[in-house]
Amino acid sequence: MARMKFYCDAERCIECNGCVTACKNENDVPWGVNRRRVVTIKDGEAGERSLSVACMHCSDAPCAAVCPVNCFYTTDDGLVLHDKDICIGCGYCFYACPFGAPQFPEDGAFASRGKMDKCTFCAGGPEEDNSAEERRKYGSNRLAEGKLPLCAEMCATKALLAGDASVISDIYRKRVVNRGASVLDWGVSYQKASLRSSKGMKGKATMEE
Amino acid sequence: MLINHRRVLQLLAALLLLLIAFPAFAEDVASSHKPVTVPNPATDLWRAVNPQQLPPAQAAMFPRGGSQVQGVQSGVLINQQGQSWRHFRMKQLLPTGGYLLAGAMLAVLLFYFIRGKVLIRDGESDKKIERYSVYERMIHWFMAFIFLFLGFSGLILLFGRSLLLPWMGPELFSILASAAKEGHNLFGPLFLLALVLMFLKFVIRNIYQKGDLTWLLKGGGIIGEHDVPSNFFNMGEKTLFWLLIIVGGLIAISGVVLLFPVFEQGRGIMELSHVVHAIAAVIMLTVIIGHIYIGTIGMQGATEGMTSGYCDLNWAKDHHSWWAQRCIDEGKVLPKQQSVDGHTDNPDSASREGVQ
Amino acid sequence: MKLTKISDQVTATQAENLQAATGGAGETMTRRTFLRNSSLMAGGAALATTLNPAMMKRAQATETKKAAQVKTICTHCSVGCGIIAEVENGVWTAQEPAFDHPFNRGAHCAKGASVREHGHGERRLKYPTKLVDGKWKKISWDEAINEVGDKMLAIRKESGPDSVYWLGSAKFNNEQAYLFRKLAAMWGTNNVDHQARICHSTTVAGVANTWGYGAMTNSYNDIHNSKAILLIGSNPAEAHPVSLQHIFKAKEENNAPIIVIDPRFTRTAAHADIFLRIRPGADVPVIWGMLWHIFKHGWEDQNFIDQRVYGMDEVRAEVAKWTPDEVERVSGIPENQIYAAAKTMADHRPGTFIWCMGGTQHTIGNNNTRAYCIFQLALGNMGVAGGGTNIFRGHDNVQGATDFCILSHSLPGYYGLSAGSWKHWAKVWDLDYEWIKGQFDAGSYEQSKGKDVSPMNTKGIPVSRWIDGVLEDKGNIAQKDNLRAMVFWGHAPNSQTRGKEMKTAMEKLDMMVIIDPYPTVSAVMHDRTDGVYLLPACTQFETYGSVTASNRSLQWRDKVIEPLFESLPDQTIMYKLTKKLGIVDNLFKHIKVENDEPLIEDITREFNKGMWTIGYTGQTPERMKKQQQNWGTFDYTSLEAEGGPCDGEYYGLPWPCWGTAEMAHPGTPNLYDTSKAVAKGGLNFRARFGVERNGESLLASGSYPLGNELKDGHPEFSADLLQKLGWWDDLTPEEKTLADGKNWKTDLSGGIQRVAIKHGCAPFGNAKARAVVWTFPDPVPIHREPLYTSRRDLVEKYPTYEDRKSFYRLPTRYASIQAKDYSKDFPIILTTGRLVEYEGGGDETRSNPWLAELQQDMFVELHPRDANNAGVKDGDDVWLESPEGARIRIKAQVTRRVGSGVAFMPFHFGGHFEGKDLRSKYPPGADPYVLGEAANTAMTYGYDSVTQMQESKCSLCRISKV
Repeated sequence: MARMKFYCDAERCIECNGCVTACKNENDVPWGVNRRRVVTIKDGEAGERSLSVACMHCSDAPCAAVCPVNCFYTTDDGLVLHDKDICIGCGYCFYACPFGAPQFPEDGAFASRGKMDKCTFCAGGPEEDNSAEERRKYGSNRLAEGKLPLCAEMCATKALLAGDASVISDIYRKRVVNRGASVLDWGVSYQKASLRSSKGMKGKATMEE
Repeated sequence: MLINHRRVLQLLAALLLLLIAFPAFAEDVASSHKPVTVPNPATDLWRAVNPQQLPPAQAAMFPRGGSQVQGVQSGVLINQQGQSWRHFRMKQLLPTGGYLLAGAMLAVLLFYFIRGKVLIRDGESDKKIERYSVYERMIHWFMAFIFLFLGFSGLILLFGRSLLLPWMGPELFSILASAAKEGHNLFGPLFLLALVLMFLKFVIRNIYQKGDLTWLLKGGGIIGEHDVPSNFFNMGEKTLFWLLIIVGGLIAISGVVLLFPVFEQGRGIMELSHVVHAIAAVIMLTVIIGHIYIGTIGMQGATEGMTSGYCDLNWAKDHHSWWAQRCIDEGKVLPKQQSVDGHTDNPDSASREGVQ
Repeated sequence: MKLTKISDQVTATQAENLQAATGGAGETMTRRTFLRNSSLMAGGAALATTLNPAMMKRAQATETKKAAQVKTICTHCSVGCGIIAEVENGVWTAQEPAFDHPFNRGAHCAKGASVREHGHGERRLKYPTKLVDGKWKKISWDEAINEVGDKMLAIRKESGPDSVYWLGSAKFNNEQAYLFRKLAAMWGTNNVDHQARICHSTTVAGVANTWGYGAMTNSYNDIHNSKAILLIGSNPAEAHPVSLQHIFKAKEENNAPIIVIDPRFTRTAAHADIFLRIRPGADVPVIWGMLWHIFKHGWEDQNFIDQRVYGMDEVRAEVAKWTPDEVERVSGIPENQIYAAAKTMADHRPGTFIWCMGGTQHTIGNNNTRAYCIFQLALGNMGVAGGGTNIFRGHDNVQGATDFCILSHSLPGYYGLSAGSWKHWAKVWDLDYEWIKGQFDAGSYEQSKGKDVSPMNTKGIPVSRWIDGVLEDKGNIAQKDNLRAMVFWGHAPNSQTRGKEMKTAMEKLDMMVIIDPYPTVSAVMHDRTDGVYLLPACTQFETYGSVTASNRSLQWRDKVIEPLFESLPDQTIMYKLTKKLGIVDNLFKHIKVENDEPLIEDITREFNKGMWTIGYTGQTPERMKKQQQNWGTFDYTSLEAEGGPCDGEYYGLPWPCWGTAEMAHPGTPNLYDTSKAVAKGGLNFRARFGVERNGESLLASGSYPLGNELKDGHPEFSADLLQKLGWWDDLTPEEKTLADGKNWKTDLSGGIQRVAIKHGCAPFGNAKARAVVWTFPDPVPIHREPLYTSRRDLVEKYPTYEDRKSFYRLPTRYASIQAKDYSKDFPIILTTGRLVEYEGGGDETRSNPWLAELQQDMFVELHPRDANNAGVKDGDDVWLESPEGARIRIKAQVTRRVGSGVAFMPFHFGGHFEGKDLRSKYPPGADPYVLGEAANTAMTYGYDSVTQMQESKCSLCRISKV
C-alpha cells in the first residue's frame, strides 16, 4: 500500500502561506487553530529558508504513543489520524509531537482545550467517508475522492509535495540532480556572493562545495 | 504472627493479579508498531534542521525560526524535548511507577500476612484521649478524599490505557478518562488548598524533635521492640507530613502550571512540569499506601483518632508515650462512655476544657 | 455519493449577530465554561466540534449530485491564476486546484487559496448605507441613487462636471472598466483615474515612450526561457508568489542566476544568487553603473542597437559619468557587486528584467523605467523569448483598467484626449461628437501652444493629487472649481500618500460616495457626520466578464455565485446611477440591459469595435470562452495551443490581437519578437515618434518580423500608405468604405490592419526604440535625489525639478520641498511595500479571517542599529513621525532585513489614525478583523515629473518609543 508523506522543499518555499490558507479553506479550520504553518529560519538574512510544517504522519508516531486514551490510529496509507469522539483533550500529543502538529480550539485553562485537531492529510477521520459528520469534525476527505491534500495541490511553487513517499522521493531526487548538476555549468568566474550556503541545508551547491 | 489459609489465598490472588497487569502495560509500552522502512525524503531534511543532530558549534548557532501563524512556539521547527518526554513517560514512568505502586501494595500485603496487625500491647482500655478536633479531622479527610480522588483519576490517565482500555473498550474508557481528566483538573487546586490548611494546622506538631532519630533507628516499634517513645506525631508521621508538604507541594505547583497553559509557557515547561508531577505523585502514592495500611488494617486503634477524634489511652501509651504522659499529667484523659447501642459518646457533650 | 457541506448565506441581521458573538476581531474562541465541560456526558458528542459557529456558518451537508465546477480567475493579482469553484445549490462550497490552467497549474498563494471566503463575506458591506449625524443608516438602493444623483447634478450645475471625481478601480473587469471610462466621458470630465496612477503609471509612460507599448513584453511563463533574471524594486515572492513557479523553473532547469536589487533583503532575495542592497531612489545610478561596465567591456549587442535602437550614443555619454566610485557614492553598492550583476546579465542571455513599485514610485519614476528599458536594449534582450522587460502589474485587472484608460490623460486604448481621439470614440459609441463636447465644461483654463484648450482635451487631476483638487486654492487649479464630490469606486484611500491632508480633504468635500464590496478606510478616516454614502458592489465572483493579466492575456470569468446581500454588479450600479444622471441612453446605446443589468458580452463587443491601437479587437466573448473551456491545451512555456479547439492560438489572445475576430489573429505572446510573422504573433518596435529626427531615421534598419515584405523599417499604416504601396485594393469594398482616409487606429473595419499583416507588416509601423525621449523633462534618464532625502551632499549635483505652476491642472512642488533639510530631525529613510497576505488598501483581505490571522499587527521593520539608537526593542510600540507632521503608532519589528538607516512599512493596514482606533466608526458588522495604522498617513509629498506618480518608496521619518 502506498505510504503517504509530506515533503517541503526548502529551496522552493517562499513563505507565501498558500498552504496555510488552503488548509483553512478546505477544512473550515477556525481562527486560532492552525493545522499547517510555515516556519522561517534566518528571517531577513542570507540563508533565509522556509518550511511548511504540519502533521508528518510519522511511522512511529509519538502522539499515538503517549495518548492516554489511544485515540490515534494509522490507516493503510500510513496516515496517523485520530478519533475526536475518544479524545479527551489532555494535550499530551502536543507535548510529544516534534512538529507541534496537534492544535486545540480553546485556550485550555483548567485544561479545557477542547478536542485535538490536526492535519489529516485531507483524509478525514473515522466517520464514514465524506459524510456530514466527518466533514464537520475533521474537515475534508479528499483522499476518499482520489485527490491529494489541498495544501500541496495549491502550493505556489510546488515546494510542498504530498503523496506516495516513493513518488515524492523521485520528484525530489530529480530536483536535487537538476540543481546539483547545474553547478557544473557555472562558467562564470566573477566573484559570486553566494547566498545559499545556509548551514546544514541541502540545496544548490555553492562555490565551497 | 498469624498465618491463616484464607489470607494466603488472598495473597496469591493479589500476586496473580499483579502478574497479569505487568505484561499488559509492558506490552503496550513496548509498542506494537514495527519500524517500517520507507523511502521518506523528509528524514534527511529533518535531520538537517534538527539542532540535536548538528555538530555542537552549529547547533548553538542554530537560528530560531518565526512564523506568521501566531501561537506559543509556532516558530519552533522541531520540539526536541517531546522525544525525551515521550521516552520518560512511556519507557520510564510507566514501568517504574507501575512496579513501585504494585510493589508497595505487595509489600503491605506481605507485611500484613507476615507481621500481622499491630495490636495494642495491653489491649483496649476504658479511657480515651482527645486526639484530633473536628476541624483537624475535617482537614485530614478533605485532604484524604482529594488526594485519593486525584490519585485515582491520575492513575486512570497514566495506566488506564494499558489496564482498563483493553476490557472497557475505547468509547467507555474515553468517557471514564475524560471524567477523570476533568475531575482531576477541577479538584486539583483544592489539593493546594488542602495542603495549605494542613500545613498551617499541623506544622507545629511535625517539627522534628529529640527522640525522632531514635524512633527511626528502632524501627518505630513496628518491627521488633515495642518500647519506642514518641511525641504527638512520631518520626514516621512527621516524615509523612513533610513528604506530603514538599513532594505534595511539588505536585500542586507543577499541577498549577499544567492547569493553566495560558501564560505562554512552552512545551518544555509543560513537559518538565509533567515529569515533576508524575514522579512526585508516584512517590506520594507509594508512601500513602503505607499510611493507609497502617492507619486502617495495619494497626489496632489507629483509625479511631481520625474518625471519632479520640484515641484509646493504651494505644497512646504504646505509640505516643510522651504525648500520652503529658495528657495524663494535664488531666486530659477521659473515660470512654458506651451508649446503649454501643456507640461511643458524642465528644461535644463533654467539655473539652479541662475535664479534670 | 459525494456529500458536501453547504454554507448559509449570511443575512444582514445574522451578520450583526456574528459580529457580536465573535466580540470583534482577533479574539480566540468563546470559552466554554468548565462546568459544561465537566459534565459526564458521552465524551464524544458534546465535545466533538472544533468549529466556532460564530466564525464560519457551516451548515449540514446535503446529498447532492456532483457540484458545479465554475471556472474563474483570482481577483488578487495580475498573474491571473485559474480558479475552479465548486458550487452547490448556489453556495460556494469548495475550491479545487485548476491543474490545467497554463499560468498557475492549480497553484495559489495565500490570497488565491482563500477566495472562497468571498462567498461568506461576513464583513461585507451588506446594503446601501448613509452617514446621518455621525451614525450609519441603512437606505434602499433607490434612495441612495436618488440622493447621490441629485447631489451630483446640483454640483454639476453650480461648479461644472469637473467637480465630481470618478475614481475607478483596477479590480473592475474589462467590461466594467471600459464602461466606467465611458461613463466619465458621458458625464463630461477627465477627472477619472484608478490605481495604475500610483502603481505603474511611470512604467506605462516610460516604456511606451521607448518602444511603443507600455506593457509587460513577455509573460510569466516565458521566463522559463530566461538564462538570467534581474529584479529591481520587485518582490514577487510576496506580491506575485505564483510567478516564482516560473522563475524557479528557469533557476533550476536553465541554471539561471537571479539578481535582486532592493533596499531590503526580501523573500525573493533569499532565493537569489546576487543581492544588491540599494539606497531607495538610486535606481538610475545602479543601472547606469551596470551599463558602464557593459559598455566598457563591449558586452552590448551593437548589431541590435544599430538595427533597432535610436539615441544610444546620448545614453553612453550619460553612462560615462557613472563610474564605479560615483555609483557607490550615490547608491551604496560597491563596484564588485555592480560588476557581478552586469557580467551575469551579459553572460547569460537572453535575460529578463523585472521591476515593480520599487522602481516606479518616485519623482523620477519615468527615468527609472526608461533606464531599465535601455539596459535591455543595450544587451539585445528585447523581442526574444526569455528576455524582455517583464513588468509585473499589481491588481488582477490593473492591466485591463489601464488599457481602457480609466486615466485622466487618455481615452480607452491610449488614444489620448485630442479631438481626433474623441471623434474616433464618438464614432465607436455611435454618438454625436458635439453632444459629447457639450457635456464638458465650456470654459478654458489652460493654453497649449498659445491657444485656449478645453477641459475635454486637457489631462484631468490624477488620483495621487485628488486631495489637492479639494484643498488647493481654486484659482490655482486649471478647472472651474475645486473637486466637491469624490466617488471611490473600488479604490481605497489609504494607498495614496499624505493621509493627514486627505482627512482634511475628505472633510471639506460636499459628498463622498464609496462603491465597494467593503466600506474601506474611506468610511472611517475622516470626522464627517454626513454626506457619505456606502453602496455595496459585488466582487468579481458574483459577476462575469473578461480580465487582462499582466502578460496581456485576456481571460474569461464565469459567475460563481449570485451577488451576496444587497450588493450589485458594478455595471448594474453604473446603469442605475447614469439613469438618474440622464446619460444612460447614450452610455448603453448599443448595450442590451435586462433587469437593470447590462449585458457584459455587448460591452465586450463594443470595445472590440474600437480598441485598435492595442489590439483588443480580436478577443471576442466567443473566442475567450472557448479558450476558457480548453485551458489544458495551451503549452506551459509557449502558451500556444497545440491541437484542440484553439489550435494555434496563444492563451488569452495576448494583445495586440490584431484585426477583427474573423481574422483570427492568435495574439502576441512576446512583444517585439521579430522571429515570428506578425500574423503568428511576431512584432517589432512601434513607429510612434515620427519617422526621423535631427536627420536621423527613426525607423528600424534592416530588422523586421519574419515574412515582412518590406524587409525594413516603415511608418505606421494608413489608407495613404496602403495606396502608396499598392496594397489598397487588397481591401474589400466594405473595408474600403470605412478605411478611406483613416489609419490603422481609426479604421473601424480593421481592413488596414488585416492587409498590413497580410503583407507581413505590423500595422503600427516598424521603428527603432528610442533611448532618448525628447518630450520628457529628462530626455536621457538621469538621477535626481528624492524630495525627502537624507543625502544632502548629493542634492546640489542631483537636484530635483523646479516647481511647476500647473501640471495635470495643479501646482506641483519639487525644488521648494527638497530645499529644506529634514535629515537631522528625520534621519531614517522610509520606504513602503507589500505583504503576501494582503492586497492594496487591505480592507477586503483584512476581512478574510484566514488571511487576517496571519498578519495581525501593523509594523515597521527597523534595523538593530536604529532600534538600539532609539531604545526600541522588537515588539515595542513606536511613534513613527513624518516631516509633514503626521505620526502613526505601530509596532517595531527589529530585523536585518532592512539596512541600517532604512525602515520599511507595509501599506495594507487602515482603521487606526494617528494612534486612535477607529473600529467603532465602521458600520456595524463591516469592520475588518484586523485594523492598523495606514502607512500612507506618514508618507509624503512627491510626484513623478511625467505621470504624477506618488513617491512612496523614499521619504524620511523618525522613530521613537511610545
